[in-house]
Amino acid sequence: MSGLASLGAGLVLLFTPTMLFHAAWATLLGIIVGSLPGLTATMGVALMTTLTYSLDSTAAILVLICMYVGAIYGGSRSAILLNIPGTPASAATSLDGYPLAKAGRAGAAMGIATAGSALGTLAGIVMLVMIAPPLAEVALNFGSFEFFWLAVFGVLISGQLTADTTPIKGYIAGILGLMVAMVGSEGIHAHVRFSMGLQDLNAGIALIPAMVGAFGFAEVLTAMWNKAGVLAVTKDKSDRTIPDLMDVWRHKVTIIRSGIIGTLVGIIPGVGEDIGAWGSYSAARRASKEPDQFGKGSIEGLIAAETGNSAVVPGSLIPAITLAVPGSASSAVLIAALFIHGIRPGPLIMIEQPHFVGLISAMLIIATVFMAIYGLSLTKAFIQVLRVPYAYLMPVVFVLCVIGTYALSQRLFDVWVMVAFGIIGFVLRQMKYPMAPLVLGIILGDLLDKSLRRGLTLTDGDILPFFTRPISAGFVAVILLSLLLNIKAFRNIAGAPMRWMKARFNA
Amino acid sequence: MRMALADRLTAFVFVALGMAMSIGGWQMDRLEIRKIHPASIPGLVPIVLGGLLIICAVLLLRSTFKSDEDGDALIMSGGSWARLAITGALCIFYALGLVGWLSYFWATAVFTFAFCMIFSFPVDGDLRQKGIATLGALALGVGIALGSSYLFQELFLVRLP
Repeated sequence: MSGLASLGAGLVLLFTPTMLFHAAWATLLGIIVGSLPGLTATMGVALMTTLTYSLDSTAAILVLICMYVGAIYGGSRSAILLNIPGTPASAATSLDGYPLAKAGRAGAAMGIATAGSALGTLAGIVMLVMIAPPLAEVALNFGSFEFFWLAVFGVLISGQLTADTTPIKGYIAGILGLMVAMVGSEGIHAHVRFSMGLQDLNAGIALIPAMVGAFGFAEVLTAMWNKAGVLAVTKDKSDRTIPDLMDVWRHKVTIIRSGIIGTLVGIIPGVGEDIGAWGSYSAARRASKEPDQFGKGSIEGLIAAETGNSAVVPGSLIPAITLAVPGSASSAVLIAALFIHGIRPGPLIMIEQPHFVGLISAMLIIATVFMAIYGLSLTKAFIQVLRVPYAYLMPVVFVLCVIGTYALSQRLFDVWVMVAFGIIGFVLRQMKYPMAPLVLGIILGDLLDKSLRRGLTLTDGDILPFFTRPISAGFVAVILLSLLLNIKAFRNIAGAPMRWMKARFNA
Repeated sequence: MRMALADRLTAFVFVALGMAMSIGGWQMDRLEIRKIHPASIPGLVPIVLGGLLIICAVLLLRSTFKSDEDGDALIMSGGSWARLAITGALCIFYALGLVGWLSYFWATAVFTFAFCMIFSFPVDGDLRQKGIATLGALALGVGIALGSSYLFQELFLVRLP
């Protein structure tokens, strides 16, 4: 079935009152979650996984996709009005959104952000439909050797690109995640590792309680720790939320560029929406005719950031569906949710469920439509949402963290895991350790462990095929290159030809 | 505390954790009795991961001796310690103490009510404001307890703790 045909079939399947109802409330809830500083898309998707496991698989996945799309977009509300990004993905949005709001043009900023987000998601969907099927086909040739390097590559790149300060902290977070995945029964000989005599640990540490802790409880603690922001409520009489189409058309190149950058960033394992937004923002500033306006209320900057972060959503689903390697922390939770609902992401997805990419794309389109409708029509309501005091909001979030975690297996042990990960997550975040590599480590640990040992068994302990098979060799080269780029001397040597060419060009 | 000092302390914790992981992996059953291939022993990856964590911890420790902006930054600054401590204590008491000891409904109602009261009660307000805050907290506590109990017990068929 061609990409377009399966997309059409997906849309037909979802065009029922029940599905549209689910899409409507989930997108709205996603926008609310995303707009509240301290509540992230990952937390929303993780909590929603626990609330939707009794729904049928299509409805449950639709709800999660809508929550994800809505939350990433919702982050722009508080970024524009409070100068506090609702989610990390909207950090770049606040640079130009808040100055616009302070100048009395909050409505225009939110309208442009809505247009940028919708177009970014659509750009990502196009690439999802185009890239996912051939990528799954390539991945069918992967053996243990390639999957081992894919897991290493995912954790390493995620650690390198998401660390705020030094990449070493990203690597450490990734290794900690892999260590967590080592707990419990291993996948080859069913030998129980590091259970410390606790029967509850025999099956390992489940991803959802760990994620709800690291992104839910940790965020409750962070929100209560931080000071509240100040709403920018100045309003210019000419301000309106419906974006000027000429404004959007004028920045078509920025939109296309940011859509491509966002999607490509989404495909890189575990990197996420914030990097997509920053990448698009800095590319737009470099290419802009008015770079000095960036950070002072530039429409171009705002549109680049919002298009970039929204395009990451479909982009991150490309490796998640075809390789079972998440492109972002939220898509890691989506992978866990897919397994809960009996869908096995990975290279076989195009054989087992050839319509699945089309169905997911259709879900993204429906979520985008609802997002645009809400974004343009409910501006005042979202401003009221930002006024809800944390004293009322956070206990509700934590109650859902507890009961949602408990409901998955109906055992209190998972609640303890959630609390432990919440505390660890909070401390690690304060110390500038990124969470995405940790999550990626937990989800890829089993694949890495099994692939290495299976590969070594196949070669009778010979490690050479790990380096000589063509795709493995490619992975090794990229991994080595990204490690070496951390060394200043290497960067100088590697950059010398570029500098020489630049000098010649300038001369 | 400055980031450099915090990183130095955590580097030692990570070295200890890495050593524990490697030793744990090394001492793990090699399953010779099941005649498995020696390259597929369950402890192989933990040994490697422990070693990698030690290397990263040493690199982290080394980086703390360079004087830079990141190292001089203060951690856990700019927020409210009191709010953090109360939130942490309340949440942990609810999740690890109240749930499972009291019925879910009462545990949730008490937790939500207490949380709202502590963080929103107008100590300097007049009687009316205090009454509204108390009633609001009570309504939220009972509402959340009732709503989440109904949702999970009746709709999702979960046997509540």
